[in-house]
Amino acid sequence: MTEKVEYWVKVPIGPIHPGLEEPEKFILTLDGERIINVDVKLGYNLRGIQWIAYRRNYVQMMYLVERICGICSFSHNHTYSRAVEEAAGIEVPERAEYIRAIVGELERLHSHLLNLGVVGHDIGYDTVLHLTWLAREKVMDVLEAISGNRVNYSMVTIGGVRRDIDEKGKRLILDLIKYYRSIMPQIEEVFLHDPTIEARLRDAAVVSRRIAKEYGAVGPTARGSGLKVDARWSEGLGVYPDLGVKPVLPQDVTGEKPHGDVYDRTAVRIGEIHQSLELLEHALDQMPDGKIKAFPKDNVLVAKLKIMVDGEGVGRYEAPRGELVHYVRGKKGSDKPLRWKAREPTFPNLFAIAKGLVGNQVADVVVAIASIDPCLSCTDRVAVVQGGKKIVLTEKDLLKASIEKTRELNPDVKGDPTPIGFGCAR
Amino acid sequence: MDVMANIVYPVAGLIGLYAFVSLASLLWEGIDRKLVARMQRRVGPPLLQPLYDFFKLASKETIVPNTANFMFRAAPVLALATAIALLAYTPMGFEPLLSSKGDVIVFIYLLTLIGFFKILGAISSGSPYAKIGAAREAAIMVSREPAMMLAIFAIMWRLGKLGVEKPFSMGVFYQHNIWETGTPLSFVGAVILLYVFVIWLASEIEVGYFNIPDAEEEIAEGLLAEYSGRYLALLKLTKALKAYIAASLVVSIFFPWGIAGYLNLSGLSADIVNLLFHTLKVFILLFAVQSVFRATTGRLRVTQAVEFLWKNAFLASLIGTLLIAMEVIM
Repeated sequence: MTEKVEYWVKVPIGPIHPGLEEPEKFILTLDGERIINVDVKLGYNLRGIQWIAYRRNYVQMMYLVERICGICSFSHNHTYSRAVEEAAGIEVPERAEYIRAIVGELERLHSHLLNLGVVGHDIGYDTVLHLTWLAREKVMDVLEAISGNRVNYSMVTIGGVRRDIDEKGKRLILDLIKYYRSIMPQIEEVFLHDPTIEARLRDAAVVSRRIAKEYGAVGPTARGSGLKVDARWSEGLGVYPDLGVKPVLPQDVTGEKPHGDVYDRTAVRIGEIHQSLELLEHALDQMPDGKIKAFPKDNVLVAKLKIMVDGEGVGRYEAPRGELVHYVRGKKGSDKPLRWKAREPTFPNLFAIAKGLVGNQVADVVVAIASIDPCLSCTDRVAVVQGGKKIVLTEKDLLKASIEKTRELNPDVKGDPTPIGFGCAR
Repeated sequence: MDVMANIVYPVAGLIGLYAFVSLASLLWEGIDRKLVARMQRRVGPPLLQPLYDFFKLASKETIVPNTANFMFRAAPVLALATAIALLAYTPMGFEPLLSSKGDVIVFIYLLTLIGFFKILGAISSGSPYAKIGAAREAAIMVSREPAMMLAIFAIMWRLGKLGVEKPFSMGVFYQHNIWETGTPLSFVGAVILLYVFVIWLASEIEVGYFNIPDAEEEIAEGLLAEYSGRYLALLKLTKALKAYIAASLVVSIFFPWGIAGYLNLSGLSADIVNLLFHTLKVFILLFAVQSVFRATTGRLRVTQAVEFLWKNAFLASLIGTLLIAMEVIM
């Protein structure tokens, strides 16, 4: 009687790989085509943004925060502004909140269309990529017309927005809504009914409801698994409750129970495009007249923030990829933040999807990763420089450090400190 | 005189065919890329881009990985040599150069050998992606060939019943064709077999559903992951030749008609006109099977593709074969 021999091989996907948009590394343990384990390694896209930020004042920081990532530049800036506004206790004019909602929904449109195209490309369906990205040009043009830029809109400032949306801008957005209403049936036809898409995306990389909850998944990844989370809805953020926002779950789009697979995440994105169009319509309808900024000039703002920011503020916003949190702590008399931290949605989603990939095939890896719309330039954050040698701290090191700290504070603490499942071993 | 007829003419013909088919197949690749680009609302590369690519790759430095062994360098050359040898057995509007009794087996062997050499080169490179690609190629290869082999033997056997000089030779298609048998039953059988051959052709040239071994986004071009420079140029040329040859087979089984007879030509000029007309038919078939299929589908997982080939193509082949055989038996 012979023992069964297992031929497991480790195959790296990344840091540079044609299917990944940004440097990240996945080490797959394979048994033939079947995935036994996925190991995530991060830290290839570290730019020391936090370090740079501590050398800037609150207003200068907005330019930096906007450039964390090219896709959700508005979300970062918006969330950061909210955090500072909370720390300083600044009241934002209502018209500014509406304009923020409008630009945010436009950004969501363009981000979701981008991701749908990427999902198509990753299963070798290039026609879908080219046609969805063609559709995306419309929203990019409108964003350029109302903000002056295609990528970094610079719409938000602390205490309001920089630019007003005039009648011309309103007309452009109404045109855009009409345009997308006319082409959405085609996009739905492709992503919900095409046989190739259905064969590839159904039951690929299933993130069950329990895993989504345990790993703290957010955004379309969590909603695709059936979790009812949406920071705009649960927080009652800004004017969103008046606009009637609610989390889009897969059953609203497909009419089936959520499976938590790539198909459901795609369906959620399609549902959210519809919802964004509705929100835009309502926002344009209800937008009141009035001021758009709390402080008319930036130099006044810098001076005011120096006095007003005392203590800490947390900004939360539902970015297209999931819930984004910015934390700011400042001290009276200083125009620089003492502490600023951004928590991106990709980090928890990445580990949830890595767990969901176990048992699937190599062919699913790239499309599964694309389905959470990862933004690695947002995620890579922590680095320690010691004697000229760079050490990137990741989950495991941070866990070790936090265990040490807990032991130091309370030596009698009970419990098993070993991480559950896998993490980033380094 | 004998030397002239048996050696010089075939060799000259083979060299001529090789030059023509290389140009035609690379030109087709350019046309395909342009057409697909237009379907995707892009401008697309120039028509001669594959030719430019070929010459550029041929002049580039060739990098051989440390982990590679001798077969890594031998495989592209062997694959191209096999493709050239295959041209002597490919019906291209006229009877193949080396047509003889039973050469269909040589044809199938050589066609499969190209894929075999590619696999050999890939597993000799030491790259994990190339190995995954090789495993996928092997799985697809053993699934797609049985359906095609069953169908082609059935057709050859049926045509042999009509009385030909060299049964089971690639030349029989120009004496009788599959539509001549006449009865409705065999007509339906022939249509089903056409479907089988179209599926086989798509999986042979690895487009659309079957772009699995070379999946660019998943395993970084799979079999070709480690190849560069001259070897990559050879492999790209081999791939283009293989697409032309595989399409030639389908064209000559189902659409063998030439136009030289209508133009009252004979000898070499008739062959050249038939070859050009055949090339046009190949381009039209490849447009349907390659360009349209590529633009309207994505790739499947390897398990799904294997299942499709066995459960769909092989089953269809079985039914078509039975329909064709039935009228002879009954």
